[in-house]
Amino acid sequence: MRSRFSFASHTTKALVRRDFFLTLKGWGLYLSAFLSLLASSFILKSHLGAIKENNILISSDPLNFPLFISLVIVSFYLAIISVISISREKDQGTLEVLFYGPVNSSSYLVAKYIKDMLLYLVMVCFFFVYFTAVSSLTNLSFSWSLVKAIFLSIFLVSCIVSFSLFISSLTSKMRTSIIWLVGILLAFLAIQIFHTMLVSLEEEALSSSLLYLRKTLEMVSRGTGWISPFSYLNRGMQSIAIGSMRLYGMSILYSLVYSFILLVSSVLILEAKGVRG
Amino acid sequence: MRKFSLFFTLILALLLGALTSPSLAQASPFREQLVYSLNLFNGKTYAPGFCPRSEDTIYLIANENNAVSPRITLVYFWPITARYMAGFKTLNEEIEGTLELLKDGKVIRSLEKEDNVVFYPEGFFAENSRMYLDEEAHAFLQKYEKATKDYYKRIDEYYEKMREYRDAFNKFLEDLSKRREAGEELSRAQVEAEMPRQPGSPEGVRFYTTPLAKNYILNLPQGTYQIRLRARDGTIVQDSQKNLVAFVQRRGGTIGYEITPGNRWTMKESSNDPSKTIYAAGKNTLYLRPFLQDEYNDLYYKKLLDPQNEGTPERWMWVHTTPIENVLVVLLSKGKLLESIKRAPYYVKQIPGPELGYEILEYSEEEFAGRSPSFEGHKLEVSSVSGKGNYEFHLEKREGEVLKGSEREILFVKKENTNLLHVISIFPLIVGLVVFVQRKRSIS
Repeated sequence: MRSRFSFASHTTKALVRRDFFLTLKGWGLYLSAFLSLLASSFILKSHLGAIKENNILISSDPLNFPLFISLVIVSFYLAIISVISISREKDQGTLEVLFYGPVNSSSYLVAKYIKDMLLYLVMVCFFFVYFTAVSSLTNLSFSWSLVKAIFLSIFLVSCIVSFSLFISSLTSKMRTSIIWLVGILLAFLAIQIFHTMLVSLEEEALSSSLLYLRKTLEMVSRGTGWISPFSYLNRGMQSIAIGSMRLYGMSILYSLVYSFILLVSSVLILEAKGVRG
Repeated sequence: MRKFSLFFTLILALLLGALTSPSLAQASPFREQLVYSLNLFNGKTYAPGFCPRSEDTIYLIANENNAVSPRITLVYFWPITARYMAGFKTLNEEIEGTLELLKDGKVIRSLEKEDNVVFYPEGFFAENSRMYLDEEAHAFLQKYEKATKDYYKRIDEYYEKMREYRDAFNKFLEDLSKRREAGEELSRAQVEAEMPRQPGSPEGVRFYTTPLAKNYILNLPQGTYQIRLRARDGTIVQDSQKNLVAFVQRRGGTIGYEITPGNRWTMKESSNDPSKTIYAAGKNTLYLRPFLQDEYNDLYYKKLLDPQNEGTPERWMWVHTTPIENVLVVLLSKGKLLESIKRAPYYVKQIPGPELGYEILEYSEEEFAGRSPSFEGHKLEVSSVSGKGNYEFHLEKREGEVLKGSEREILFVKKENTNLLHVISIFPLIVGLVVFVQRKRSIS
């Protein structure tokens, strides 16, 4: 057990450095950041249009929703590159070669996890620059709760990255991994978005079929509440909305526990299945 | 072919049967049922209601007096609203017994009926009331009865004074005409001075107390319980078992605002959360009404209002409990005091024309005699022009005494920069280009 989870820090460092700089030198990171910010810009533009039309809008954090959209796009990108890199290394036999050396399952997966988290920190820098610019251009407030939301997003990404590592440890083919990952994440996201949309509508505004759908989604959301990485972000965002530092801290803790459980499970699965899958 | 014809005939018969069956829109027949008649505190006042057999849980606010009373009545389903209705006017039979309160399956209290009244300090139509029990209930009822009796006495006296006034006035008119006929010249001031004075009508009773009622009173700490009624013969009354949820607010006693924008006065906005910012575009007039408010779970609160309501456990709602009066709204810009605004009544005057179609005017009894104000509020005139920039406002009870949690910010969005949003999203690509160029250079 000890050897299974022991990893040489210099090996992990070397793997992180290799993967991190390789991704940093490619175009994917910048392109996904651009696409995520472009989506945010569209949302913000329609938001400003609504203020212009109604002359008034009362909102606590108008930048939080655009941040959420950017975050979803970026986290999908990180999850997919993580899955691709593991599956490709499995397919091409690189993983097997690495495992003949000082690399073991835990150091390999931890390195992948750290690399993705570092890439997200680069994205966080982009978010700070972008939202500061948006705030000064539009006068939409760059509030303390936006800073808290950005900080919280690091833990959501941690959940998604560990989830993607878990999926890639379960599957051996790249295509299967991507299909499973994207399918599950999209399903989780769709459940959360539709549920939030229906919950935000007044009961009187819903037809009976939508009411049944809302109830069904309520039950499904309860079921996926501890499995879906997005529900961890949702919990954190709610704690920000009510200004509860205790709940905010708890949601961070839950995310860390979730990530830890999935990482350990991934290591165990990879160990059990072997490098050839 | 025969099978098909048989199938077709069967379908046709089913369709015809469905068409000739009684309409679904018809009300279902009355059924005798044990229901709980409720008089529950909703955060500001007491609202009556009932819990039919179809609902297994009663929701109430913890640590407040709430009255429940099991009754036999006629219940029917009203399809238009999809709700069960109670015909208390036709049948309203009280059930005698002891109400048992259970927690985790154990009886923790046995309740007998208690005398109670609901006291409305600002009158029946005002939104605040309290429930008083036993001796206090009797005291408040007596207070109201005495006030009413005194009022009727004052009314009698008033009618007597009015009769005397009319007689005196008629006599005054007769004397006046005689004096004028006699050639006496009287000035207007002289006539007004000698004219009898009309007595003022007596002031009514401002508060109200409901008639004495006898109910089981539930004042419980937060938690889930069960109730059931034990009849005098020791048996449990059928259908009397209900779950009980006593809940508290998530956040309470904070200050919220109802905001009436001048450009669409019928569509009110709320600024309930102190963290919320008011975003505006261009010149606008805002009319603010501050309230004390509590935040409750949507499902619990809606079920409290009517156990047949639906609700969403994930949602939270603010309930405005008490309007805050006798305060000033203090408007500031960059920390500098601009204005201290009092609450005032306003009248919405409909005007013909292609624009708004109405005008909001300050109400005065002289100007709008016989009409009541459309709304009341603190009027804030805000504008992004004139170099004033963003605004803040808060409530002050007295000068310098800011009410905590009343602070809000008004920010003006810069509409002219919206097109630049897409431009700034390009900057990660620029960073990528810089990295790419550097890499190319290092390779070469």
